[in-house]
Amino acid sequence: MTQAELRLCSLLLQEHFGEIVEKVGNSLLRTGPRPLRLLVGDTGLLPDQVKKALCVLIQHNLVRYEVQPRGSVEYEARSERILRILRYPRYIYTAKTLYGDPGELLVEELLLHGHLPMSSAVARVANRLTETMEDGKTMDYSEVSNTFVRLADTHFIQRCPTAPESPRNTKAPPPPAPTLAIAEKDMYTVPRLSLHGKGKRRHSCDEDEEREHKAKKQKQEGGNSETPPDDGIYWQVNLERFHQHFRDQALVSAVASRMDQVCVAPTSIPTLELSSSHSNPCFFFPPIQTSSEVVRTMLRMSEVTTASGASHTQPLSSNEIFRALPAGYNIGKQVLDQYLALLADDPLEFVGKSGDSGGGTYSVNLHKALVSLATATLESIVEERFGSRCARIFRLLLRKKHLEQKQVEDFAMIPAKEAKDMLYRMLSENLVSLQEIPKTPDHAPSRTFYLYTVNVMAAARMLLHRCYKSVANLMERRQHEMRENKRLLEKSQRVEAILASMQATGAEAAQLHEVEEMITGPERQQLENLKRNVNKIDASENQVDETIFVLESFIESTMKRP
Amino acid sequence: MAGRGRGRGRGQMTFNVEAVGIGKGDALPPPTLQPSPLFPALERRAAPLPGGEEGEYMLALKQELRRAMRGLPYFVKPGAPRRDIERYSDKYQLSSPTDNAIDWSPDWRRLPRELKIRVRRLRKGRTAPLVPKQRLALDKEETIKKLESLEKKEEEVTSEEEEEKEEEEEGKEEEEEEEYDEEEHEEETDYVLSYFDNGESFGPDSDDNGDEAVY
Repeated sequence: MTQAELRLCSLLLQEHFGEIVEKVGNSLLRTGPRPLRLLVGDTGLLPDQVKKALCVLIQHNLVRYEVQPRGSVEYEARSERILRILRYPRYIYTAKTLYGDPGELLVEELLLHGHLPMSSAVARVANRLTETMEDGKTMDYSEVSNTFVRLADTHFIQRCPTAPESPRNTKAPPPPAPTLAIAEKDMYTVPRLSLHGKGKRRHSCDEDEEREHKAKKQKQEGGNSETPPDDGIYWQVNLERFHQHFRDQALVSAVASRMDQVCVAPTSIPTLELSSSHSNPCFFFPPIQTSSEVVRTMLRMSEVTTASGASHTQPLSSNEIFRALPAGYNIGKQVLDQYLALLADDPLEFVGKSGDSGGGTYSVNLHKALVSLATATLESIVEERFGSRCARIFRLLLRKKHLEQKQVEDFAMIPAKEAKDMLYRMLSENLVSLQEIPKTPDHAPSRTFYLYTVNVMAAARMLLHRCYKSVANLMERRQHEMRENKRLLEKSQRVEAILASMQATGAEAAQLHEVEEMITGPERQQLENLKRNVNKIDASENQVDETIFVLESFIESTMKRP
Repeated sequence: MAGRGRGRGRGQMTFNVEAVGIGKGDALPPPTLQPSPLFPALERRAAPLPGGEEGEYMLALKQELRRAMRGLPYFVKPGAPRRDIERYSDKYQLSSPTDNAIDWSPDWRRLPRELKIRVRRLRKGRTAPLVPKQRLALDKEETIKKLESLEKKEEEVTSEEEEEKEEEEEGKEEEEEEEYDEEEHEEETDYVLSYFDNGESFGPDSDDNGDEAVY
């Protein structure tokens, strides 16, 4: 765990869960797994506070526990999971694009609460949706639970490991902590529940009455109907699946930007660069963005069959792909074959041909795709930071692997002095490294080759570390800005509250205006500035997180290969 | 042999300088004598952030998420700090939840036993036996909490003494902890809490100052 990761983890915990949880998480991250009493001693907090914090962390899957052979329970923080908190908005947005509002809210509720049983998740989401609908309409539970089932079928949510059944005769003392386990086949099976009901809307006027009614009813009913039918079955968001989806998205857009035409006016005839090499006697206008569509189809077919860390998808035959193309696509089988051949021949090697049965079997080479994406990210970073000539040298080194100083100048067609300067700058930033090749056993400097090279893995790790640092800096700056303007923010909140209450009780425009005047012009300006800055910082954090995702996926995929 | 050559000739290095590209007589940059500056000057401006609908939506989601997480019971707030002097109004203020309470009810079957917080109770016998509930939705808990507080106030008017009570089942814990909170601060008062006005509210004064003489 690097310092940058530790700092970022503690900032994330502090922002989302408060100081106490941050202290506990910090202690666990810095000193490793430990039992409860050592933790209490380390953090200096009260034992009850530490217990509370641990409950919160375990609820959200940020800390796991293990029963040691001696009988004590050790807690361990999961740093990579804590860093995922940064990506929550992306998960929720993806769920929205795929499954609409119910999907979005389901994923949001599951992320906010860590894990939930299906019944309560569905109930919450239905209530929230009902509140946004017009008066008189309510959201039915069935629609929400349909979306839930669909999310489970496509593996976006999964069941949490369950506690073992308690034995009937408790002769032996129960273990200090349950060992949770789940079978692979059970992970996505939705329990058969008959959830009936409609979302409830909360009216502000009769809110209190409603609550009193509900509470009274509960007390009278007793415990008969309070254990919901899916007791003990909890669901959590399957982050790996979302990551797969992001990776597929990135792949498809890479193929699209490389092979498909960029923009097509609806009236113009699309001139595909691809069709120029194949003579097509019949005049037809193929649909746009076919190659990315083909790749998207292939990825969609392999969604559930490919393991998360696999380097290739399962081989798919051309016939299968043809059958699986979306309904609206009416390209001929021949055209599809041409596209597949082209994709397989492309130097980027996203798609590889693995055989000839079934009209040619193709598979998507996921590892290569991630390598290209990461390399493209590196190149783009060099370009933005150092300029396009530096980027040219960098790309040259990536292609040719090892080059001498003189060769760099020649191939890049850059004058010697400038080339030297750029190389040294990149060397000082550790993007480029020197490789010594001695000619003689005594490594004499005059008889040694010095070659420049780019070590992609090391450069990716270095940049990832920098990304973590950047996000941590951004968060600190944002918190600083909010702290500086705290007084002003509180004042504006109070004014808004007053305005709202006055509007509710029906005040005149003059009175409202008078209240609005309580915030002066310069203060308004300051608030505007603050809002703009905070928005910019937040958007930057989201942006850096996308880079983090690409680099992390690349590193993970490279480490997994045997 | 080791010290030979040191100091002779400017900038002698262990490797062949020409091979790396520094020719004879080329001006080398001056040596750095201090750590690099904390905020190095930006040579080129960063590219603008990608805007667009997706970016805006995710931005709004992020801020919304932050705000929502603060309001959830998972955001652990430290207990109210003890003031240096006990003030009279402390008795009448509804304090924040103490450190002993967990405001949400986790499934204790999935957690290690040592994490369960046991709170000592100071209460008299309850009128209606509470049924153990494993999971309560958050809003239901608030409802119950409010209802309990109202009930307690009614009970206290008649109660005079407090008793120690044994520890009870887990299911009753969260509700009793909340009552415990109310209890601790409402000891031995004959006054109904909601009628106390500590003068900070907005709006016109209430009408219950008929006792005082109006000057």
